[in-house]
Amino acid sequence: MAFQILLNVILAYTWMFLKTSYSSSAFFVGYFLGLLILFAFRNYFSGRFYLFRVYAIIRLIVIFHRELFLSNIAVLKVVLKPKLDIRPGIFAMQTVLEKDWEITVLANLITLTPGTLVVDVSDDNKTLYIHAMDIEDAEDVIQGIKDSFENAILEVSR
Amino acid sequence: MKTNDLILQTVTKVAAFVIILFSISIFLGGHYSPGGGFVGGLMTSCAVVLLLLAYDLKTVAGLLPIDYKIMIACGLLISVSTVAGSWLFDAPLMTHAFSDFNFPVLGKTTLHTAVLFDLGVYLVVIGVTMTIIQTIGESE
Repeated sequence: MAFQILLNVILAYTWMFLKTSYSSSAFFVGYFLGLLILFAFRNYFSGRFYLFRVYAIIRLIVIFHRELFLSNIAVLKVVLKPKLDIRPGIFAMQTVLEKDWEITVLANLITLTPGTLVVDVSDDNKTLYIHAMDIEDAEDVIQGIKDSFENAILEVSR
Repeated sequence: MKTNDLILQTVTKVAAFVIILFSISIFLGGHYSPGGGFVGGLMTSCAVVLLLLAYDLKTVAGLLPIDYKIMIACGLLISVSTVAGSWLFDAPLMTHAFSDFNFPVLGKTTLHTAVLFDLGVYLVVIGVTMTIIQTIGESE
């Protein structure tokens, strides 16, 4: 990914030198043309075309903000409810993520999910211990987390 | 003897893109400076030929999954529709038009329909060159 961005910037500068105009618009034109060239040669690089990854990062940020909003609404509902009928509990979740930053992002996203909170990570970085505010079906929650967050993070790092 | 082409391939990795960018610069500069669709197209196919020298036919076909014969047809279609487009405005054939546009980042830009005609030429030149080279290269 880093190599592709670097090459794109080099191409943008090459364009500015070819045109002998050193304005920001020349840089943008060169960057755009470099983007088209890199897209045409996307199979040439070992990684994916880097805009896909940029898109995945943007999607992860959108998910992050949506969950932040929803979790606060959910907590507000529980707080304002006159009857306290929640069933708290802790369950373990296996994760396929390996890199440190991936696990950190996943833990933060789970903490922001309505009603769940990461308590601990096991020593081998394979299991997350999650405290749920209202534990009805741990399997459902795990599957939901795997479908939304883990896939979104894998999309970025793959 | 099979030699290790590591250095050639690494240099190609950067050089091919600079060549293509230069060819686009030549292609777009055709109105005010030497250049145009023909040299631009030739130079773009030069970059692909450089890839062919560094790698082999099969690898490059995997890198650029393009059917160059379809590319020729597309180029001809673009040129013909640019020419035929003058009918829509009751003008003689091959009448070209231009106008000034204001874009948010780029500022004042002049666009001319002759560039579309040139784009057709560009695609046809790439298509023809690559078809010739690939056909010769594939035959044993």
